Amino acid sequence: MPSTRPTRKATGTKAAPAPSKKVAPAQAPAKKAVVAPKSKKRTVEEARDESDDEFGEVAIDMASDDDEEDMDGDDESDDAEDFPEEGEEGQDMSAADLEEDEDEDSEGSYMDGDSIVDSQEELDDEDDEESDFDDLVEDDIDPNFGHNLNEPLAPESDYNPIVREYPEIDPVYDSDSSTEENDNTVGDIPMHWYDDYPHIGYDIDGKKIMRPATGDELDKFLSTMDDPDSWLSAHNYKEGQDVKLSAEELEIIRRLEGNRIPDADYNPYEDQVEFFSSKTEIMPLSAAPEPKRRFIPSKHEAKRIMKIVRAIREGRIVPRKSGYVPPKPKYYNLWNDAEDKPREEHVMHITAPKMKLPTHDESYNPPAEYLPTEEEIKEWNEMDKEDRPKNYLPQKYNALRNVPGYGQFIQERFERCLDLYLAPRVRKNRLNIDPESLIPKLPSPRDLQPFPTRLAIEFLGHEGRVRSISVDPTGLWMASGSDDKTVRIWEISTGRCMATYHLDELVTSVVWGPNKEVAVLAVACGYKVGLILPEKLFSPELTLHSEEYLKAGFANVATGEPNPKAQWKQPTPAEFEKGIRVWVHLQKPVKQVTWHRKGDYFSTVAPDANNSAVLIHQLTKHQTQQPFKKNKGAVQRVMFHPTKPMFFVATQRYVRQYNLQRQELVKTMQTGVKWISSLDVHPAGDNLIIGSYDKRLCWFDLDLSSKPYKTLRYHQQAIRSVAYHKRYPLFASCADDGNVQIFHGMVYNDLLQNPLIVPVKILKNVHQRVDALGALCVEWHPTQPWLISSGADHTIKLFS
Amino acid sequence: MDSIADGPQVQVKFVTQQRQFAIPETGIQTPARLRRYGLSQIINLVLQNEGEKQRPFDFLIDGEFLRTSLAEYLEEKNMSTENVLTVEYVESMLPPTPLSSYEHDDWVSAVQAHRPGGFLTGSYDNHVRLWNKQAECTQVLTGHNGAVKAVQWLTSDGDNGTLLSGALDRSILAWEYSHADNSHSILYECKGHTGGVESISLNATGDKFASGSADATIKIWTTIIPTVSDHIEDVTETRKKRKTVKEDRILKAPISSLNAHTGPVSAVTFSSTSADTLYSGGWDHSVRVWDIENSVNITTKNCEKVVHALDYSEHSGLLASGHADPVIRLWDPRSEDSSVVKQTLSGHQNWVTSVSWSPSSAYMLASGSYDGLIKVWDIRAKGALYTLSHGKASKKVFSIDWSNDILLSGGEDNQMKIHKVQDMTDRAEA
Repeated sequence: MPSTRPTRKATGTKAAPAPSKKVAPAQAPAKKAVVAPKSKKRTVEEARDESDDEFGEVAIDMASDDDEEDMDGDDESDDAEDFPEEGEEGQDMSAADLEEDEDEDSEGSYMDGDSIVDSQEELDDEDDEESDFDDLVEDDIDPNFGHNLNEPLAPESDYNPIVREYPEIDPVYDSDSSTEENDNTVGDIPMHWYDDYPHIGYDIDGKKIMRPATGDELDKFLSTMDDPDSWLSAHNYKEGQDVKLSAEELEIIRRLEGNRIPDADYNPYEDQVEFFSSKTEIMPLSAAPEPKRRFIPSKHEAKRIMKIVRAIREGRIVPRKSGYVPPKPKYYNLWNDAEDKPREEHVMHITAPKMKLPTHDESYNPPAEYLPTEEEIKEWNEMDKEDRPKNYLPQKYNALRNVPGYGQFIQERFERCLDLYLAPRVRKNRLNIDPESLIPKLPSPRDLQPFPTRLAIEFLGHEGRVRSISVDPTGLWMASGSDDKTVRIWEISTGRCMATYHLDELVTSVVWGPNKEVAVLAVACGYKVGLILPEKLFSPELTLHSEEYLKAGFANVATGEPNPKAQWKQPTPAEFEKGIRVWVHLQKPVKQVTWHRKGDYFSTVAPDANNSAVLIHQLTKHQTQQPFKKNKGAVQRVMFHPTKPMFFVATQRYVRQYNLQRQELVKTMQTGVKWISSLDVHPAGDNLIIGSYDKRLCWFDLDLSSKPYKTLRYHQQAIRSVAYHKRYPLFASCADDGNVQIFHGMVYNDLLQNPLIVPVKILKNVHQRVDALGALCVEWHPTQPWLISSGADHTIKLFS
Repeated sequence: MDSIADGPQVQVKFVTQQRQFAIPETGIQTPARLRRYGLSQIINLVLQNEGEKQRPFDFLIDGEFLRTSLAEYLEEKNMSTENVLTVEYVESMLPPTPLSSYEHDDWVSAVQAHRPGGFLTGSYDNHVRLWNKQAECTQVLTGHNGAVKAVQWLTSDGDNGTLLSGALDRSILAWEYSHADNSHSILYECKGHTGGVESISLNATGDKFASGSADATIKIWTTIIPTVSDHIEDVTETRKKRKTVKEDRILKAPISSLNAHTGPVSAVTFSSTSADTLYSGGWDHSVRVWDIENSVNITTKNCEKVVHALDYSEHSGLLASGHADPVIRLWDPRSEDSSVVKQTLSGHQNWVTSVSWSPSSAYMLASGSYDGLIKVWDIRAKGALYTLSHGKASKKVFSIDWSNDILLSGGEDNQMKIHKVQDMTDRAEA
C-alpha cells in the first residue's frame, strides 16, 4: 500500500504544470507495471506465513526480513531505479539497497534456483490468493487497487468489476419453446370473445382448439383442498387451464408486490464509469497534440487591427480628447416611486395605484371614537362580506406586543397582487371633451344690453288683426294697419291713439316714408295704395312741404297716357279731408309696400298679379315701372337696398338681388326654406334675414355665400315677420306661436369677422293666438332699443 | 315693562334733528329685541306724550332706516351689543290718504298744484282746467290744438292769476284768468317749437321759463307780457291758418334755444336755487345741465335709458330722474362725472314718467309710473315707503306733483287724484 500511494501523489502533482505533462506518460507506466506486482508477491507470501498480519506491516517487514531478500534478487535493479523518486522512504531504501548489494555479490547462484520454485508456487496458489484479495478490495475505497492486482489475469474486468451471470442458452432446435408452448394463434386479444364458443382459438394449422374441460366450483374447491400447492396456480386464459407457477415466477410476483425490481440480479446503483473527471488520465481520450494555431497570433486579428491602425493614422478615427469624461451611468432609486420618475415618461405606462395609507381606526390603539359600538359590531357581522365598507373592525389593544398576527394579511396581499396583475390599467383613448367647450362661446346676454325685456306700453283700440305697423322716422309716432279696415296713428311714448283713418278694405301694409322732410304714410289697402299725410302731428312747415311734395306728381301725370297696371288718382274731397292725398290703383290686391330710402320711390307687391307683381312707383312723377318682365315664382316680399341701387325680391324659396341701375341679377340666395314669409335687410346692406313659414330664420351674409350663414330654428310656429334695428345690433322675429324672439346680431366692419348672432331674449306669449295666428308684425323703434309687435289679438305692444 | 326688559340689552343714545322732540342725549339701556314700535314707545315715554299726543317715530342708524329689531340689525352689521348705539329718530310720515279724485273727459297728462288758485291740469282733450279744492272745475281754458302735455303756474293770488300750458300742437300758451268774473284769456302764444312741447319749467325768480320739446330743442322764454307780436319768420305758414286761428294772438319768440339734445327733450326743470341753472333730460339718454345765461351746456350725464322726468330738490341738492325703465335715478348735478348715478330706487314695474321731490324734505320723493302706481320714497330706506294706487289697475300715471301736504296725480284713467300727505315742513332739518 505505501508503495503505491506515493506514485499517485507524484503523478497528481505532475499533472498541474503543462510542460511536465509530456514527460509523465513515459515514466509512469513503467513504474506501475514493474513495482506493483512485486509488492503483491511479497504480501502473498506474508499472508501464507502469517495470515493475520496487517497489510501495513508488510512494508516494515520488507526491510527487516532477510529471507525474502533472496527471492527478490531478480528485481533489485528495478527497485533501485524506482526508489530515488520516492522522497519519503528514500533513506530506508538506501540502507536496504546497501544490504542487497552485498547479498548479490555473495550468493548469486543460490538465488536463481530458489526463485524458480517460488514462482511456481505463486502460480499454483494464485486462485486462493485472489479470493482473499477480493475481500480486501471490497473493504478498500480505492478501486484502482484492484485493477492493479487483477492486471495480469483479466484486463477487461478493469471496466466491469461486477460480472453478471445469465443462464446459459442451449442453442438446440428446441431451445426456443415459445411457439410450441402456446399453439393458440388468436394473438393477444381479450379471451372473453370466445366465451360463447366451444373453442378457445385456433392452432397453427387453423384447427379449433377446443376448450379444455373444467370442473365446476365444487371440483375447484376440492382441488384446492386436495392440492396444497393450488394457491400457487394461475389461470391461463389462452389455454383455458390452470398453470402452476414456478419458483422464479413466484419470486418475481413477490418482488413486484414489494415494489422492487422484478429481476433480483439487477443492480440499479451500479458504479459509474467516470470517463471524464478531474483526474488527468495517463492515457487521455484524445492524445492529439495542441495544434500550432494555438501558439501563433491570429492573422485575421492582425488584419483588423491594422485596419484600425491605418484609420487612426489617416485620421478617420479620432481618439478621444484628453479631457473626456465618460458619461456617468444612470442610477435611480428603485424603491422611490412617484417623485423621481425612474421610468421614462411613456404613453402606455400607468403607475399602479397606491395602497391607501392606514387611518386611525387601523391603529392597534385607536381613539375611542373609532371603536365600534356593540350595535355596529352586530351590524358589521350581519352584513355580507362584499357589502362591508371595511374588512376589519377597529380593535383596541393595551400594548403593541398584544397585537396578534393579522389573519387577513396573506389574503390582502394576494388580492393586491391580483389587482396589480389583473386589473386592466389600460389607457383608454376616450375623447375627453368637455361638452361645454363644444358650445360656441357666446357673450352673456347681460353684456349685450340694451335690448327690450319687458312690456312697457300696450296700444289698444284696434278691432281686428293688426297686420302691419310702422314707426315714423322721428320715432314719435307709429302707424298700424288692421283687418278692421282702419289705420291708426299712435303716440309711442304714451300709447295714445292720435288719429284713425277709416278705409274701405283690409289694411295689409303701412309704411312711413323714410324721408324726414316729407311726412307721408303709405297704406296698402285692398287693390290700392294710399298715401296719407297726417296733418296735426307735424309742424306746419313739414306739413306744407309734404303737401307740395305729394301734389307735385299730379302735374306730371297728365302728359303720359294712363298706365293700366297702376293708376294714380286724386282722393275724393272727403278722403282729402281725412288726410289721404294720393291713391294708386293696382290690378290685384297689394300685400306689401316698401319705400326706397330717399322717399321718392316705393315698391308694391301684389303676388296675384303674375308678371306685374312687383311694381316700382315714383311719387314725385306719379310714374309706375314694372322692373321685371317675368317673375320667377310667387313674389313674397321686396326690399330696397338701404344704401345702393339694389333691389331684393323674395319669392317662395329664393331671394334675388338685382342691380336696378344695370338692370341685372346680382345674386340668388338659396334659402333652403319652403316658403319665405318676410325679409329684412341690415341697415349696412351686407346682410339680410328672412323668416319662413316653416319656422326658420335665416341670416345671409351677402359677401360670404348664397347659402344661409346661420339658420335659426327657435320658433314653434310659422315666422311672420323679421326686422333689423336701424341703430342697435338687434334683430327680432315673431311667429304664430305668439312669441317674439330678440337676437343680438352684430355686424363688424372688419370683413374677416363673421357676424355675431346671440339670442338674447324670448318674449313669450306676447300675443294670444287667434285662429292659429299669433304675432303678425315686429318693428323696431328707429332710435331706441324698443320693440313693437302687433298680433292677431288686436293689440300692439311696445317692449323696452 | 318687565317683559320688555327681558333679553339682551343695548345702550342706545337717541338723537334727533327735530327740536320739538328732543330728549336728553344720554344712553338708555334698551332691550335689543325692540323694533320700531317699541323704540317709538320709549321716545314717547321720555317725552311724556300720552294718549292723543303720542307720535310715531322712525329710527335711523347710520343714515338707514331701522326695519328690523335692534338685535337683528346689529347681527346683520356685525356690530357689538356692548357699544353705545347712536340712533337718530324722526317723526314718522303718516301714510298718505286719498282725498278725492277729479274727473276729466280725457287722459290727464299734466297736473300742478297748488297755488291759492287751486289745481291746474292739462288733458288730452286739448283743454287746460283749473280746479278748486272742492273738486269743482272752475275754469276750462280752451285754445290748444293738441293734447296739453305741460302746465305751469306763473302767478296766482287766489282769484286771479297767470299760467302756462304747452301742448302737442307745438305751442305754449300763456293764460290769464280771473275767478271773480269767471273769465280767461290768452295772454300770448310762444311760438318756435317744431315739435310737441313736453315740459315747461319756471325759474326761481320767475322771469324766465324753459320749454322742452320733441323737436330736440329747449327754448328759453321771458315771462314779460308783450304788447305786440314778435316778428317770426313763418314762411311755411298757410295763409288760411294765419287768418283763421292765430289772428288774435300775440306771438312771442324765444330768447334763446338750446340745441344740444339729439332726441326729443322730455323734461326740463330749473334749479330752485339758481335762476340760471336748468336741467334737462331727453330721449338721447342724457341729463344735461345748462347755464341759460350763456346758453352753455355745462355737464352732460349719460345713462342707458330715455329720460322721462326730472326734478330737482333744493334740500338735498339732488336731481331725480324717471326713465323708460322701472328705476329712479338720483344724480348729483354738481359732480363732473358724466355717468355716475348717485343712487337708484327700484320698485316700479314699468316706466317712471314723473318724479317729484317733497317740497320740504331732503329725503322724500314721489314717483308715478306706467304701472299705475305712485310710490313715496325715503331715499334713506330700501324700497318705497308707501305705494299708492292712482286709480284702476295698471292705468298709466302721466304726471304727479307734490305740494306741501298734497300729492296730485293724473293719468290714463281720466282722473286727477289727490292724496293727503303729512306736511313735512316741521320735519325740516334744523
